[in-house]
Amino acid sequence: MLGRSVASKISNHSHVVRSIAKRNICGADLVNSKFGQVKYQRTHPSTSSVHLFSSVAIENPEPSSSKSRAEPTAATVAPFVSTAERKYEFFQNVEVTNEGIAVIRFDNPSKKVNTISFKVKDEAEKLWETEIEKNPNIKGVVFSSGKPDGFIAGADIFDIQSLENKEEVVPLIESATDFFQGLKKKGVPLVCAINGPALGGGLEWALWTDYIVCTDSPKTKLGLPEVKLGLLPGFGGTQNLPKRVGLQKAMDMMLTGKDIRPKQAKRMGLVDLVVAPQSLEAVAIESARKLADGELKKSRGKKKSMMDKLIEDNQFGRHFMWQKIDEMVKKNTNGKYPAPFAIIEAVKYGIEHPKGDKKLKFERESFAKLAATKESEALIGIFDGMNQMKKHSYGDVAHPIEKVAVLGSGLMGSGIAQVTAEKGYEVLLKDRDDTSIARGLSYIDENWGKKVKRKRMTKFQYNINSSNIVPLTDEMESWKKHFGKADMIVEAVFEDINLKRKIVAEMESVTPDHCIFATNTSAIPIADIAEGASRPDQIIGMHYFSPVPQMPLLEIIPHEGTSDSTKAAAFQVGMKQGKTCIEVKDVPGFYVNRCLGPFLVEVSALIRDGVGLKELDKAAKNFGMPVGPIDLADNVGVDVTSHVAKFLSNADLGDRMTGGDVSLMEDMIAKGWLGKKANQGFYTYNGKKKTISPEVQAYINNFKTRDLGLKEEEIQNRLISRFVNEAAKCLEDEIIADPVVGDIGLVFGTGFAPFRGGPFRYLDTVGVDQYVGMMNGFADKYGPQFAPCQLLVDYAASGKKFHLK
Amino acid sequence: MLFKSSRLISSSAKSRATQAFFTTATNQPNVVIVDGVRLPFAMTSTIYQDEMAVDLQRLAFKGLVDKTALDRKEIDYVISGTVIQEVRTSNIAREAAINAGLPNHIGGHTVSMACISSNAAICAAADKIKTGHASVVLAGGCETFSDVPIRLTRPMRQKLITLPKAMKKGGALGAVKHMLGLKMKDALALETPAIANYSTGEVMGVSSDRLSAKFGVGRDDQDEYTVRSHNLAAQAHENGFYKGEVISYKGSTEENGIKGGSTKESVGKLKPAFIKPHGTHTAANSSFLTDGASASLIMSEEKALELGFKPLAYLRDYSFKSCDPFEELLLGPTYCSQEVLKRNNLDLESDIGVFEIHEAFAGQILSNLTAMDSQKFADEHFDGKRVGKVDMDKMNTKGGSLALGHPFGATGSRLVTTAARRLQMEQERFALIAACADGGTGHACILERYDN
Repeated sequence: MLGRSVASKISNHSHVVRSIAKRNICGADLVNSKFGQVKYQRTHPSTSSVHLFSSVAIENPEPSSSKSRAEPTAATVAPFVSTAERKYEFFQNVEVTNEGIAVIRFDNPSKKVNTISFKVKDEAEKLWETEIEKNPNIKGVVFSSGKPDGFIAGADIFDIQSLENKEEVVPLIESATDFFQGLKKKGVPLVCAINGPALGGGLEWALWTDYIVCTDSPKTKLGLPEVKLGLLPGFGGTQNLPKRVGLQKAMDMMLTGKDIRPKQAKRMGLVDLVVAPQSLEAVAIESARKLADGELKKSRGKKKSMMDKLIEDNQFGRHFMWQKIDEMVKKNTNGKYPAPFAIIEAVKYGIEHPKGDKKLKFERESFAKLAATKESEALIGIFDGMNQMKKHSYGDVAHPIEKVAVLGSGLMGSGIAQVTAEKGYEVLLKDRDDTSIARGLSYIDENWGKKVKRKRMTKFQYNINSSNIVPLTDEMESWKKHFGKADMIVEAVFEDINLKRKIVAEMESVTPDHCIFATNTSAIPIADIAEGASRPDQIIGMHYFSPVPQMPLLEIIPHEGTSDSTKAAAFQVGMKQGKTCIEVKDVPGFYVNRCLGPFLVEVSALIRDGVGLKELDKAAKNFGMPVGPIDLADNVGVDVTSHVAKFLSNADLGDRMTGGDVSLMEDMIAKGWLGKKANQGFYTYNGKKKTISPEVQAYINNFKTRDLGLKEEEIQNRLISRFVNEAAKCLEDEIIADPVVGDIGLVFGTGFAPFRGGPFRYLDTVGVDQYVGMMNGFADKYGPQFAPCQLLVDYAASGKKFHLK
Repeated sequence: MLFKSSRLISSSAKSRATQAFFTTATNQPNVVIVDGVRLPFAMTSTIYQDEMAVDLQRLAFKGLVDKTALDRKEIDYVISGTVIQEVRTSNIAREAAINAGLPNHIGGHTVSMACISSNAAICAAADKIKTGHASVVLAGGCETFSDVPIRLTRPMRQKLITLPKAMKKGGALGAVKHMLGLKMKDALALETPAIANYSTGEVMGVSSDRLSAKFGVGRDDQDEYTVRSHNLAAQAHENGFYKGEVISYKGSTEENGIKGGSTKESVGKLKPAFIKPHGTHTAANSSFLTDGASASLIMSEEKALELGFKPLAYLRDYSFKSCDPFEELLLGPTYCSQEVLKRNNLDLESDIGVFEIHEAFAGQILSNLTAMDSQKFADEHFDGKRVGKVDMDKMNTKGGSLALGHPFGATGSRLVTTAARRLQMEQERFALIAACADGGTGHACILERYDN
């Protein structure tokens, strides 16, 4: 499987993923429950990275084909007119039971999910004033949702984005927390009934109530994911959460932003009761009545264990805990993300100032500061970009896709089969013989087995997923009969144009006429594969990144003749597989690998100029890359990396692939230094330890032609500018449609420092003119490979920015 | 009479009487065996040691559906046979079906009839089809001995079941007092299931050993038969006969109980396992504890053709007679074969081209063969008409339970699939399948080759 997704392999390294899923989310591995035992359960990378932001404020979780990209959503809805049937825009009409329990249901009819905005708060205030506050018959209040499977998905980030000066958010938050505190003044019990997601501002709202009931639905999840957007929970979350679940659990939740499932929520005291969805409101109403009548006590959170008391309830224990947390956060964020530290500070401040409103003031001021950081802007930019990627303009899929055949059960093929089967498609996984198929199946089994073990998947779901995969071999007579019902083929076989063409012909003969042929090639032009096909309009490239289950990106590559319906199908399947899909033009390396090409050449150039291997890795990591390039090459395989570099050297990149010497890695292949898989690449691997052997050092010394004594900043700039320039060149050449695609592609495909928001946002932040100046300097010093592309030159001249916000 | 057919049988080898039976006018559908598979049968506590029986059945069902490319929606019903029950999966057929991703609406039940459980499943499927209650049925069986239910003693169980009551009444002290009434040996001992008959209390091997003595089947004959079974099984695997019939488990179709290079000498070294010291049954000439599962795809002829399948065989008739469990526990095959052949006017020697007979013990199978061919036995039981002499060149030529193994619930479907496939390959017209089982029950059925 040579040259299989070059950069793909590069980005395939699990660290990369983790960085997207974790670093970017910030400080993941946190003190979980007790010191020392970090039994931190990270959500599965694929899901966590995909759901990276989905939790905070989802505009439209379903792919929509009607709107074109980059068009702002919502905002253009007709103004709301109050009627007797529908008095409020964001709430259903209040119902009051005979016993005086008022039920207030969040319900935003213009959106699929409820979100909290300052507008919602304003209306809530009005509602409270007119219907609850002055009504002496109200004995208790239940907050619920009018949506069948969602409470509140979070706060609307548009509120923050729209403020030019983030300081302005402070009084807005203050009015909100005043409102929440005002709810308490009425003196009646407040109960929250949660079914489906209660995230961010939604959970913060719930935390102001006296009693929380949630359902046991698999859709129910609670969390404070603000940190993933570089923010902190600003509606009193940093103060209210620790009171409910204790310091350690609260820090874990807020610093990782992870979701809490119902059972766990009950165990940790986050909710008071877990019930079936069918009885949610009835139980909530009954609870409110009992609370009013004194039959039930208000929630005080969970009783602390001895150990927790020892840690949380005295200064010495806490000091130790903060130290541990600090260490973890520093380790996991490399100090690049300010939000986790601000969260820690806000919580600490609350402990030191338990009385009065000062703690809330501190919290909202911290929030405003975070909202103004470029890190938060970058993370919100990625979140926005992700949502934009869910839309395309290709209309509907001509024939519904139910059965997807995957050809080749190697690492790629089985990974694709896994994510496809998981989402309910029937998958025909075909390879040569039983042995090859068994290898693929065992890979999938292992991945799912881990999920079952971690209780991320039930045994039943595992069985259902497994049964979605039909393993087929050439020896099985029935394979053609199976393929006769396939709606889409995803081909992941050896990279050989003749083989691929042969497969296209064979597939066209056995599959129905509507069947789409997607190729997961990384090295062969899609147009070449489509040449001679009888249904070329149904051929498209779908370039996955390895390991497929973890890597969140999918490049979709139509060739000239690909039909819209085929593109729509690729998007539909890709998104259902949980991938963020970007459309890329049919050029060598497509987008992500193409950008990595010059980067790889520069690695050899830097080594030649005397930069040490560890120094190189460190520089890249300090810039914010998930792993250094040397580490990456070892993990992906020196042979694979070399193949990528060579492939792109022979492609159409011209000068941009010069300046280095790719023979560096070729000679290593000859020596059998293939990377981690051989226990010997650039580094020598001995268990968990990796060192540089004298032999490798001698080889590197020999390769080195001079020692420029480069500083870290110059190393970073040389490395990253090659990368960034290529991304800009891709935009110039219309390989990608816009900077948003470009940012999403590199962040999700390579782990490009998420807090920098991607190459284009990074350029905006640094200033294009300054960057062009720097590159010109490099070009004078090192050669034309550093010449900034025309687009950059133009932007520098005009002072234009890639992103408006 | 359930199994009547409107189809004329063209074989000239058949007697007129047979024709008369098959052509009795009726509009009941014909039952066909479309295909069948088994998971590799494996010695207990080897490859399947972490699987539950339900998983084995699930994999067999799924393997069969995958192999045949049958549209899952076409399935009307599933039936499984199993013997050693896991309480969590009492209706193992149902659990296997939904965990194999079969649509929720498909009904399913589980049958238990000792070693002929999956024969019972297949015949129940045939009945459903004959009576028009289904047209496509998955019938199979599964067994694991890698995780048998090992129980506490009865007194201990009683104490535990009444414990909550005692606790409610007397609190913790009451509970302690309640448990103190227990004898030490009852508290500590465990009950493990034995391969013994409930009514007679006798272990199968002992019964079979006595049966062999009765029919004069010696140790030598048994060992020779055992070696034959192993060598034929090994050969069949080697020649690729089982390709497609044995589906792969984790990439392998190896059946690890088969000892290819067996010789009479190697087998002869073993000591008697049941009756000591003079018994003839050893660990080698008895079938071993096996885990595995199998599945057969049974349809009405009409439906099979409509779906574009080429059936392997008709299922013509069956018998489930029983005999005296004290005297001749495992002699069922003789009685059932006699019944089913007689009813269909078939002659064992001239009409049957394929024999697949379950080998619980070499002694048991040789006793049955002797009984079938014995004039004395015929005089005593069958009005003087011998069942017939089985041609060894036609019997279990691809190995039998002694070598392949015998997961109780799964063996029957294996016999049917192998017999049906042999009919096609060897171009024989009729196959006789027979098996013995605990309780003195037995089974025999007749398959007829389907001409595609």
